[in-house]
Amino acid sequence: MTHPPDACPECDLLLRPSRPIVGEKIVCPRCGYLLHSPREQSVERVLALSVAGLILAGPANFLPLIGITFLGNSHEGTLWAGTAGLFAEGFWLVAALVFLSSIFVPLLNISLALLISLHLHFNRPHHLLAHWMRWLQHLEEWAMLEVYMLGIIVACVKLSDTADVQLGFGLYAFVALLLVNVMLTGSLDGYLFWQRIAELRRKLHGQG
Amino acid sequence: MGKAERGALAQGLVRCHACGHLAKLRRARHCPVCGGVLHARRPHSLQHTLALLISSYALYIPANIFPIMTVNQFGVIERHTIIGGIFALVEKDMAPIAALVFIASIMVPLLKLLGLSALLLNVRLRWQRHPQWWMRMYRLIVFVGRWSMLDIFMISILVAVVDLSGGVSQVIAGPAATAFAAVVVLTMLAAKSLDPRLIWDKQNKL
Repeated sequence: MTHPPDACPECDLLLRPSRPIVGEKIVCPRCGYLLHSPREQSVERVLALSVAGLILAGPANFLPLIGITFLGNSHEGTLWAGTAGLFAEGFWLVAALVFLSSIFVPLLNISLALLISLHLHFNRPHHLLAHWMRWLQHLEEWAMLEVYMLGIIVACVKLSDTADVQLGFGLYAFVALLLVNVMLTGSLDGYLFWQRIAELRRKLHGQG
Repeated sequence: MGKAERGALAQGLVRCHACGHLAKLRRARHCPVCGGVLHARRPHSLQHTLALLISSYALYIPANIFPIMTVNQFGVIERHTIIGGIFALVEKDMAPIAALVFIASIMVPLLKLLGLSALLLNVRLRWQRHPQWWMRMYRLIVFVGRWSMLDIFMISILVAVVDLSGGVSQVIAGPAATAFAAVVVLTMLAAKSLDPRLIWDKQNKL
C-alpha cells in the first residue's frame, strides 16, 4: 500500500512513499528529511500528555524555582518573577520575549494540543481545527523550556560561588513540564493528525 | 533516477506549507484540505532573509560592546559584557560552564550570521555543488538558533533570585540584553523565512 504522491517539504522532491507502520521511518532519499514516522496511539498520548502539562504549568510558573541564602538574607525566584523583574527594570522587550518563550507559548502549545486531540479523539469536527494545527506547527520552535532549563543550571553554578543555592519545588514541576513537552512533541504524528483533520473537515462539509 | 529525481514544482504540483497536501499549481489559491494559502515557494524568501540578516548584523555590534548585565554587591557596581562574563567564569575556575556560555552566546550567533549569509549567496549565485552539504548547514542553523537565548534566560533568573534586601546584592539587565535578544529572534526569523527548497531548485536550472 502506498501514500498518495507527496513532495519533500525541504527539497521538493516528488515522492510516492510506501505507508510505514509504527517504528518505521520514511526519509527523503535526496535530502534526508524525516517525512513520516508513525507513533502508537498518537492522539490518545497527546491528549494525556497535554492534560498532564496543563496540571504542571501552575506549580512550574508560580512556585519558587531556586532560592539563595547570602549573609543571612534569603530570597526565592519564580518563573514569573524573572519576567516581572526585567519589566520593572525597563527591559520590556526582553521581558516580553522571556514571557513568550518560557511561559506563554509552551502553555498555548499544550492548550492547542489538548483542543486538537480532544476533537480528534471524540471525532468531533470543528471549523477551526486546521487553524489550531497550523498555529501549533508555527509556534513549536518558540517554546524554549529546555533552553531555560540550561539557563537555570548556569545561573545556579554562577550563584553557588557566593551564596547557598536551594532548589525549590517549582523546579521539579518545571523539569516535569519540560519532559512532558518533549514527549508531547515526540508523540504527535503530524501526518496522522492532518489526515484525521481532513476526514473531519469532509464530515463537517458533508453535513452542512 | 531521471523523472523520480525531479522536483514537484517542475511537475506542476505545489505542496501546502501547513498540511502537506499536494495540489495542482494554478488550480486553487487555497489548500483544499486545510484552507491555508498555497505558495510554490515562500514568497520573497531571499529579500526577507536578507533584510532580517542585515538588521541582525547591525544589532550584533551593540550586543557585544555594551554591558549585558550589571551586578550590584554592597554598593560596588560591576558591569559585564557577554565576553566579560565568560572571562569572569574562567577566572573562577568554571571552565566547562564558560565553554557552554561561549558556545551559546558567541559561537552560535556568529555561525548563524555567517552561515545564513553564505546560504543566501549560495542560492543567489546558484552555486551548483554539494547541495547536501548546504542542507546540513541550513538544518544546523535552524536547530541551534534557540540555544543562544541561554544568556537572556540566565539573566532573567538572576534578576528574579538576586534581589536581597537593603541593596546587599542586586542584578540588573544591561542595554546589550535587548540588542542580543533581538539578534537571536531576528536570526531565527531569518532562518525561518529562507525556503530550503531554493537550494535544490537551482539544480534543475542546469
